[in-house]
Amino acid sequence: MRLLLVEDNLELADWLARTLRQAQYAVDVVHDGEDAEHALAFGEHALVILDLSLPRRGGLDVLKSLRARGNTVPVIVLTANASLDGRVRGLDAGADDYLAKPFEIEELEARIRAQLRRASNRAEPVVACGDLVFDTNTRLFGLAGETLALTPREHAVLEQLVLKAGQTVSKAMLSAAIYDFEADADPSAIEIYVHRLRKKLEGGSVRIVTLRGLGYLLKAEE
Amino acid sequence: MPEGAQPARRPEGRNRLLPRASRSLRLQLLAWVVLPLAGLAAVNLWTSRNGAFATADLVTDRMLIGSARAIAEQVSMIDGVLDATVPPAAIEMFDTGDRDSVYYRVETADGRLLTGYPDLPAAKGRAGSDTTYRGQALRLRSYSHPIFGAGTASPIVVTVGVTLSGHDAMARQLWFRAFAQQLALVLIAGLFVLVGLRRGLAPLLKLRDAVRSRGRTELAPFSVPEAQSEIRPLIDALNVYMERVRAQMAAQRRFVANAAHQLRTPLALLSTQAAYARREAGADARDEALAALQKSSGRLARLAEQLLTLSRAEPGSRRPREDRIDLTEAARGVLESLAPVAVSRRTDLGLEADGPAMVTGDGTMLREMIVNLVDNALRYGRAGGKVTVAVSAIGNEAVLTVADDGPGIPPEERARVFERFYRVAGAVEEGSGLGLAIVREVADNAGGSVRLSDGPAGGLTVEVRLPIARG
Repeated sequence: MRLLLVEDNLELADWLARTLRQAQYAVDVVHDGEDAEHALAFGEHALVILDLSLPRRGGLDVLKSLRARGNTVPVIVLTANASLDGRVRGLDAGADDYLAKPFEIEELEARIRAQLRRASNRAEPVVACGDLVFDTNTRLFGLAGETLALTPREHAVLEQLVLKAGQTVSKAMLSAAIYDFEADADPSAIEIYVHRLRKKLEGGSVRIVTLRGLGYLLKAEE
Repeated sequence: MPEGAQPARRPEGRNRLLPRASRSLRLQLLAWVVLPLAGLAAVNLWTSRNGAFATADLVTDRMLIGSARAIAEQVSMIDGVLDATVPPAAIEMFDTGDRDSVYYRVETADGRLLTGYPDLPAAKGRAGSDTTYRGQALRLRSYSHPIFGAGTASPIVVTVGVTLSGHDAMARQLWFRAFAQQLALVLIAGLFVLVGLRRGLAPLLKLRDAVRSRGRTELAPFSVPEAQSEIRPLIDALNVYMERVRAQMAAQRRFVANAAHQLRTPLALLSTQAAYARREAGADARDEALAALQKSSGRLARLAEQLLTLSRAEPGSRRPREDRIDLTEAARGVLESLAPVAVSRRTDLGLEADGPAMVTGDGTMLREMIVNLVDNALRYGRAGGKVTVAVSAIGNEAVLTVADDGPGIPPEERARVFERFYRVAGAVEEGSGLGLAIVREVADNAGGSVRLSDGPAGGLTVEVRLPIARG
């Protein structure tokens, strides 16, 4: 799951990104409005965390033009202006949620989960496919009642597959979801992650099916 | 009431009794109109009393002479003998109901008593005169009348005297009328003064009520359309003052809102770093996060300190102090305390001074100003660069310059960097944006000025000029 963090305070941006990566999100960080605009043009992020007071181009401005382009990516606005007026303006500009600084990281994460859940049209926080279970709250996988130990990249790939269980997921989609801008994107490495995941899923009732030329599909065995 | 409070209050209360009465405009004006008027009325009453008595004297004298003439005309020679028969009318004319006694005496030119009271003294002179007879005050008048054929007995002298009850009653009556008129005049004048004052003071009282009924935060200008031209300047001055207070309060509110705003991001950073450290299992990563957290909290403390300094530097927030401070000595102290920071940034920090430079001002704030200048230079100057603090006395000014060889500040931003919380765009170092605001506030308070310019080796030079302390 890849997030875009737009925050002009370098240190806060750095530590927020680190903390979110701890929770198995891939995070891109930009520090001003112009860069945010460019990053959003790719449309690869599942969610945007947006500070409003940004140099070069204001956060509200970025948000408005994003919505004007018809982009419906969930946006959580993060700002030091906690006034009623500020909150109303942020939400009216197209924000899905609003969090005033200072905040507890747990709250930010809960709001991220809530927005992602809503974006994927799921009411339940727990996603299941066969005996594979993914709790979007704890962000942990379980297989037949046992917690599954995964590396961040494996986690990202399996997350994409389980959230779209029964549907084809292209290599490009997987690649966009797991690599942030800083990483060397290597589509061929996806095959390695899938191979490892298949091993870890052995003994369960789910299977990763390869559809040549199309991608992958997570399927529960009957 | 506590015992101790009483002695302190008593002298004030005693002294205020009189001045308080004279501080009332109403009483003052009333006194200035009515007292002189009453004085004039008193003088007037005194003269009118004299007039009344003079009139009564005149009337009594006329009656006396009339009476004497009536008596004298009845004196005649009958068979060669002078016969004096007093006609009753001559006595009865004095019967004014005041029970006056009338005395008379008729005598010949050679001193023979014809009739009347032998011991009644003669009136002196031609006019009436006052005397005392048988224990009573008496008005006397003599009249001499020639009698034909009386020889040396002619002229006869008739003296009539009357007690003063009627005379005094008349004088009193005349005088009382004048008294009543004067009194009415003074009372009417006083009444008009009061009515006039009430009307004249109405706008002032309205202003007082308007001021008194104002809420704590209500600072709109006062409007009293009916105020006279004498009161208008007072209202205008009051409104100018209110406007100043309003501007001051607005600035204060902006600053507090801004300060709260500026504290939010560092707090969010602290909380994020703490959350990261708590979840991190690896010891190295956790140590890194905790070290960063410590640094952040140190910076937050510095921000709080600067906010406090700034609020202390504001006019009116601290009692003005007139310390004599050697700027060179103060700079030396600051440099010594900041030396560890310079060492950790590998910055060559140095002082150039050619002797003491005495200035007058708040010593704590002046030192804080130098701390902010040097801290800024260390923070924004080049790591491994050079920061030079120079103090000199030029003419009647002490000049303190702090020069670094960092990136400097573009000329177009130099005016804005003195604004609170303003941060130069693209600055990597996370400062509070308060340092130069503090510097300017302190320099202004000490009667000096601050100027930014390019340093000799690039970078920024901040120059503070303060007036040299006299003596």
